[in-house]
Amino acid sequence: MHKSTKKWLFTKFSSLILIPFMVWFILNFVSIYEKNYTEVTLFFIQQPSKILFSMFIVIAFFFSALTISEIFEDYIRDEKIKNVANKLLNIFAIIIPLITILGIFNLSQ
Amino acid sequence: MKHNNNPLSPHLQIYKWQISSLLSITHRIVGMINTLAITLICFWTLFLLLGENNYEIIKIFLQSFFGKFIVISLCWTFSFQILNEIRHLIWDLGYGFDLKVSKITGIIALVGSFVFAILFYLIGKNIF
Repeated sequence: MHKSTKKWLFTKFSSLILIPFMVWFILNFVSIYEKNYTEVTLFFIQQPSKILFSMFIVIAFFFSALTISEIFEDYIRDEKIKNVANKLLNIFAIIIPLITILGIFNLSQ
Repeated sequence: MKHNNNPLSPHLQIYKWQISSLLSITHRIVGMINTLAITLICFWTLFLLLGENNYEIIKIFLQSFFGKFIVISLCWTFSFQILNEIRHLIWDLGYGFDLKVSKITGIIALVGSFVFAILFYLIGKNIF
C-alpha cells in the first residue's frame, strides 16, 4: 500500500473514531468545568471517564498530527523545514497525551 | 520525483468566497483551534496535580464571563468539526459531490454547528 494511501486511511478512520469521543467529551466538559476541585478530580479518576478521556486525547492528537502535516504539505515548500516541522509535530502529539495520561493516573493515587 | 517543485496550495486571497471555500478554510482554522484547546485541556488536567489551592485560580477563570465565553466557543468549534467531518466522510463514501447537494450539506453543517453548540451546552448543563 502506498504511504499516502495509508496516511489517508489513518486520517479517515481516526476522524470516524474521534467523533463520538468529541461528543462525549464536550458534554462532560460543559458539565464539570465550573465545579470544584474534588468533583473535577473525581471525574478524571473514575471509570469509565479516566479511560475514555485517555483514549480521546490519544486519538485527537494522532488525528491532529496527520491533518496538520497536510497543512504543512500544502503551504511549506522547503523540504528541510517541512521535515523539521513534522518531526516537532509528532513529538508534540506523543508527549502531550503521554504526560497527561501519566498525570491522570498519578491523580488517582 | 522532485518534491520541491510541487505546487503549493493557493493562498486565501486567491479564493472567490462561496460556501465550499468558506467551510474548507473554516474547517482548517477550527481544527487548529481544537488542537490548541485540547492541549490546554491537557494542561488543565495536569493543573489538578498541583492541589486544591492552586486549582482555585483556574476555577475563578472558568467561572468568569471570559471563561464561559471560551467554553461556549469550544462547543461551537467541536460541533463544527464533528458535522464537517461527517460531511467529508460522506464524500469519501462517494456521495454528495453534486454542486447543489454540496452547497446544501455545507449550509446544514454551518447552521447545524450553531444548533449543536447550543444543544451541547444545554445538555451538558442539564438544562433539558
